[in-house]
Amino acid sequence: MSGCHEPWPENLTHGSFVHTEAVVKEPNYPPILPSLTAKSKSARQRQVVEHVNKICAAPLAEKLSLVTRIQWKKYVVYPQTFARNADKWYQHLTKTTYIPGLPEKFRSPESPEKTTEKEGSESAAAPAAGLDIDDEAFAVIRDLVTQIILQEHWHTKKHTPFLYRRQELLVGPFLRNLVTELTFTLAKFNPLFRLCSLDINPQVNFYWRRGQRIIPRGHRKGRQEPTRFQIDDHPNCQIRITEQLPQFAQMEAFYDAEVPEITVSPDKMPLFKRQYDNHIFTGAKLPDPARYGHTQFHLVPDQYHRDQMAKRGHSDHVEVFLRANAMASLFAWTGAQAMYQGFWNHEDVTRPFVSQAVITDGNFFSFFCYQLNTVALSVETDANNPRKNALWGTESLRLYESVKDGEVLGLDDGVIRLLISFLMNKP
Amino acid sequence: MFPETSRCVTAALSPFSQTALWKDLSRCSVTHGPALCCHQPRRHLSVSRCLTAKAPPPPRSPREKVHIPGLEMVTYADRMHFVPGLAKPVSPQWERSYKDPRFYKSPPRHEMPLYKEKPCYIFNQRSNILEGVRQALWLTKTKLISGLPPQLLMAVEDPANQIPDQDERVQNAIKHARFWDTTEERPNKDNTALLTNLLHLCATLKCSHPATSRRTLAEEYSLAASWSRGEDLFQVRGRNGLLHNCMDPLPAVSGREEVAETAAHALESFYPVSPTIDLHKTQEYRENVNCTGFRADFPYPHAHTVYFLDGADTRYKLNREQFRAKMLMFTFGNALARAHILYGSVLDCPITVQAVGTNGRIFQFLVFQLNTTDLTGDHGVKNQVWLEGDVMLYDFAKVRPRIKKKQVVVPAGLAGYKPETFSKFLALYLHGAV
Repeated sequence: MSGCHEPWPENLTHGSFVHTEAVVKEPNYPPILPSLTAKSKSARQRQVVEHVNKICAAPLAEKLSLVTRIQWKKYVVYPQTFARNADKWYQHLTKTTYIPGLPEKFRSPESPEKTTEKEGSESAAAPAAGLDIDDEAFAVIRDLVTQIILQEHWHTKKHTPFLYRRQELLVGPFLRNLVTELTFTLAKFNPLFRLCSLDINPQVNFYWRRGQRIIPRGHRKGRQEPTRFQIDDHPNCQIRITEQLPQFAQMEAFYDAEVPEITVSPDKMPLFKRQYDNHIFTGAKLPDPARYGHTQFHLVPDQYHRDQMAKRGHSDHVEVFLRANAMASLFAWTGAQAMYQGFWNHEDVTRPFVSQAVITDGNFFSFFCYQLNTVALSVETDANNPRKNALWGTESLRLYESVKDGEVLGLDDGVIRLLISFLMNKP
Repeated sequence: MFPETSRCVTAALSPFSQTALWKDLSRCSVTHGPALCCHQPRRHLSVSRCLTAKAPPPPRSPREKVHIPGLEMVTYADRMHFVPGLAKPVSPQWERSYKDPRFYKSPPRHEMPLYKEKPCYIFNQRSNILEGVRQALWLTKTKLISGLPPQLLMAVEDPANQIPDQDERVQNAIKHARFWDTTEERPNKDNTALLTNLLHLCATLKCSHPATSRRTLAEEYSLAASWSRGEDLFQVRGRNGLLHNCMDPLPAVSGREEVAETAAHALESFYPVSPTIDLHKTQEYRENVNCTGFRADFPYPHAHTVYFLDGADTRYKLNREQFRAKMLMFTFGNALARAHILYGSVLDCPITVQAVGTNGRIFQFLVFQLNTTDLTGDHGVKNQVWLEGDVMLYDFAKVRPRIKKKQVVVPAGLAGYKPETFSKFLALYLHGAV
């Protein structure tokens, strides 16, 4: 029926339109947006969207100050806490999954499991295997560690420590000395350390929102309020570097990981609310060139020392305390590093931020690695966010048995290896 | 009080007498001191009574009890109650059978176990001596040479002995210590951060200078050194700061001829001021105590550099002259303690110890050479000290610019950085390792 063929309307013809670009028509009228100043829900939503866009468009220093500008009551999260099951709570608050053991690169080359107590024959055969240093350097470092232990515990004349100040007097100087000496001895093999910044007793702060609650009473009763958290941490010392460490694993690997959900309010942990300045701080302000974190070293205070815990009958809580400490401290540090690069709640990280921590009470060392995959933890941004942060960690490993008559007995090479491999981590 | 009495009082007091009442009260507070101002005004319920508060009578000294030997007083101890006419029973002094630190009474001076007739003058980290460096020179029998030894400074001019990008990194270190270290806008007063940063910068040279890894840093150590000068005993005691210990001794700065020439030098006297002024005089002390703060088998027995922080302890403040004197005394104490412990009473070769003191901006550099431990007389070979004081690292490090009459006098940030100061710091650090 070719005769009754009507001309096809022009706007409905196909064929040659497949490979051409769509014609962009300029709208004749401006977009219809809800009001900005009306007393309505849509106006409030538009105000929030405008504020978020304003923060996204602002330069870095202003972005940080805009995010932390207004003071509200917030939960103060203490990394070193007496609370039971603190690690489960902190996993929920920071959306972190815990993986026992260390990532692939820190596992010893001989056995796939993590290095705990290595046999003497195995270690004597190749003490520096898997590390980027030679055996001679390993022997030098081993002697150095022995000297530092002896200097603090045997050679220096110290007065009797006052109650609950033993760690500050004996172990604090030991840790600082150890970190300083090891860092600058390994600077020969790890060029990052020639430009690093070693902070002694720095401050690390982070402020974020996670979850929401219904305000129970007051003039805002019935409305939803986001729950705000603040961490104010003081590690014993930390190393900050100018380049970022490489990721331990792909972000997508943790999409199916398990993060415990706690439906109860954080008051039950117990966490307490306070209102003061919101700080986001990696250890130095924005203009500092060393913006990325390498390793943090934490000291277990006297009240949470394993002997004190044993006296109170909380020996099972020792590992939980260490995990919670590492989780909160490293989340705060990596989160602050991410914010220093311009990522925040509504602009999620495009690359994972990685840091390490070593927590010790002088004799027992625990090693932790953290990978920050997401900063978007508030209710609006977390709804469809499959990313999760990850923490790897070991149990406490004993460095030496005791110090007797000027000798260190039972020095564990495996722990020294781990310490060196942690410090040798570089891009 | 009862409402009726208060009404009576207000009715009785006419408006004119009320003013008289307040004037009298204020007068009595003036005469009797400010303590009475804060006490509640007494309720003067009687109108005709004297209004001024009387001071309480002074406590009378108790009557002197005369003890006549052989005469036994008859007391009311057996009666178990007071009886007028009988004497008060005196019970023997009760002593606790166990030791309780809350109720410990120290024995009188002459009964203390360490008491000695001859007093000892002790210099500790809080001593603020009147004549400053002059007094310290006299006490330690030292000759002062201003300026650092030139051979030390020559070593740093070699580019191999410098840190790559030295100026930029030192300026970053200063900015970190002064601006970036805290969340507050204004930097904190603590100046340990700058010294730590500079020491870390110097430590990055470990890879190229392996001799610097034969050192260790000690944070808190207790020093004790004693010597006698003339007829007096002197001691240096205390915990003063950071100490770099080294496995190898520092080389002597001046040769034998120069050391022998110091015998002709006369020590500066500041008569009539006594050289023991402002030193802590005590008669309870341990004699001949010489302790470096470490055990005898410490693998780093030689002192390399002592670092002093001015203003670290807020309980006392020292002027710059007195701070230099403190540096000199403690460096001397370190050298002397090691001389006694390592070499005995006769010193074979001179002992050199360095010192760096800072308040965050202004540095004092000191190199001390101990030539003799015989300090009793004023003649003979003297010790030597090279002192360079009041060296500024930078002029200003301000958060907000200083503006006078709408002109910027000092800009914000770091201003007036002087690279020579860090070169001297590095020279002292590398001395003995180059």
